[in-house]
Amino acid sequence: MVVEHSFPTVTASPWSVSMRDVTVRYANGVVALKSVSLDIRPGEMVSVVGLSGSGKSSLIRSINGLVPITSGSLRVGGFQLETARAGELRRLRGEIGMIFQGFNLAKRTSVLNNVLVGRLAHTTTLRTLLGAYRASDRQIAFEALDRVGILSKVWDRASSLSGGQQQRVAIARALCQEPRLVLADEPVASLDPPTAHEVMGDLRRINQDLGITVVTNLHLIDLARSYGTRIIGLRAGEVVFDGPVDSASDSVFSEIYGRSVESADVLGL
Amino acid sequence: MSATGSSVAGTTAGLDLPTRPGGRWKSWCAVGVVVIITAITLSPQWGIAFSLDAIARNWQNGAEKILQLLVPDWSFFPRTVPALVETLQMAVIATFVAAGVSLPLSLATARLTNPNGASRSIVRALLNVVRSIPDLLYAAILVAMVGVGALPGIIALVLFNVGIIVKMVSESIEANDPGALEAGRAAGGNQLQINRATALPDIMPSFINQTLYVLELNVRASSVLGLVGAGGLGLLIDAVRTFYRYDQLSLIILEILMVVMALDVLSNAVRRRLV
Repeated sequence: MVVEHSFPTVTASPWSVSMRDVTVRYANGVVALKSVSLDIRPGEMVSVVGLSGSGKSSLIRSINGLVPITSGSLRVGGFQLETARAGELRRLRGEIGMIFQGFNLAKRTSVLNNVLVGRLAHTTTLRTLLGAYRASDRQIAFEALDRVGILSKVWDRASSLSGGQQQRVAIARALCQEPRLVLADEPVASLDPPTAHEVMGDLRRINQDLGITVVTNLHLIDLARSYGTRIIGLRAGEVVFDGPVDSASDSVFSEIYGRSVESADVLGL
Repeated sequence: MSATGSSVAGTTAGLDLPTRPGGRWKSWCAVGVVVIITAITLSPQWGIAFSLDAIARNWQNGAEKILQLLVPDWSFFPRTVPALVETLQMAVIATFVAAGVSLPLSLATARLTNPNGASRSIVRALLNVVRSIPDLLYAAILVAMVGVGALPGIIALVLFNVGIIVKMVSESIEANDPGALEAGRAAGGNQLQINRATALPDIMPSFINQTLYVLELNVRASSVLGLVGAGGLGLLIDAVRTFYRYDQLSLIILEILMVVMALDVLSNAVRRRLV
């Protein structure tokens, strides 16, 4: 049986992110990121904050190439994203776990099959088509589920779980990649306050216990302050704040949000 | 939310109600178009030629046939069994083959599971051609090509089924939540892996549903295909019809009815276990 906290030892070193004048313009003409430059060091836990439409989602999705950058330079791990080919992009993504607001599980299949999606980059197409995952991959999936405390649900259908449990399956899927970087796009926006804290706690453990770099999009001020060490503020596609958590006062947040801080901006529990 | 617009039932006074877009004239236009088209199809110059007098003139003929149909010739049953079995075999084989061919094609025609526009258009165009030809025409052409028997019937059914299953299943893929596929992409899977691991589980119920529906269609269709020589009950129907044996025809119709009803019960039982 798996002993608690004996997560598959992460021998791989965590990744850094380096953005230089990165601009993202969509086909419909919307400019989501305007000449953004920032560096995220290996092992950091960073919260990206901003209102919806500020470019948070585009920023986080540009890091794993789900959103292609229009100009500038973006270096993640050893990969240069603006010149990466399709195969390179897949290898890059294989090293980056991602967690979504809507959990993004295949609802009609088992928890195990969902977690094994995290092994796709390390599995041949034939094995995937036959559903014949290696025993070692299954073992990694079991351990990832154990890490987030829901190994008991391994055979359940994903749709039968609660929202908080589904997000934990999604975290296990990301861990199953044995990632060097974890991206989380509004991971708790669909959860109730106590569950939100548990999930944020899981993300912090990933960062502190395993040393993995974690970048989280948040819009709630207190969550950004209590989880993570650094805050990057986005407003209309531009970085308007970048500093340690302690220096992000309420006045800094009203600068980021372009209005005074309201009670709806904190989870408050 | 604010209390300023305290609503009094039945009045819009004091409310800043935006003007309703479009107005009523659109629905009146639609009614007008339907009336005009109906008038054209019924008119003697442009419409189809038909009159209800034919029923009045020939009703005695009709009544006679109906009386014959009401008294099935039960002694004919043993001779129908081989044809009935052949019809069922054709339907089952065609359904299995069509389902196997349709699954990858469905994934290839949906935008979510095949982002490559060029290959998607090609597959779609091919399937539009396949779907536009009626099953009986397929059977007639195939009988000419491969000869009389069950084989042309099975091929005709497969072509007919693929058109249906692919259209319905690919539409259900498009209606699905793309979230799981995005997660597969973010985990570094290629399109085939993403489709297999994250799209397939969610479309399985729709796929099985369509396959069961097609099996039902096939039992009915394969009994007609025989009319052009493509095996099964149809061959027998053609024979008894030629000899005006409506009592025997009604036995065959009863048999088809029983099989279709049995299939309905079966497929409902399977469907209940799906969702």
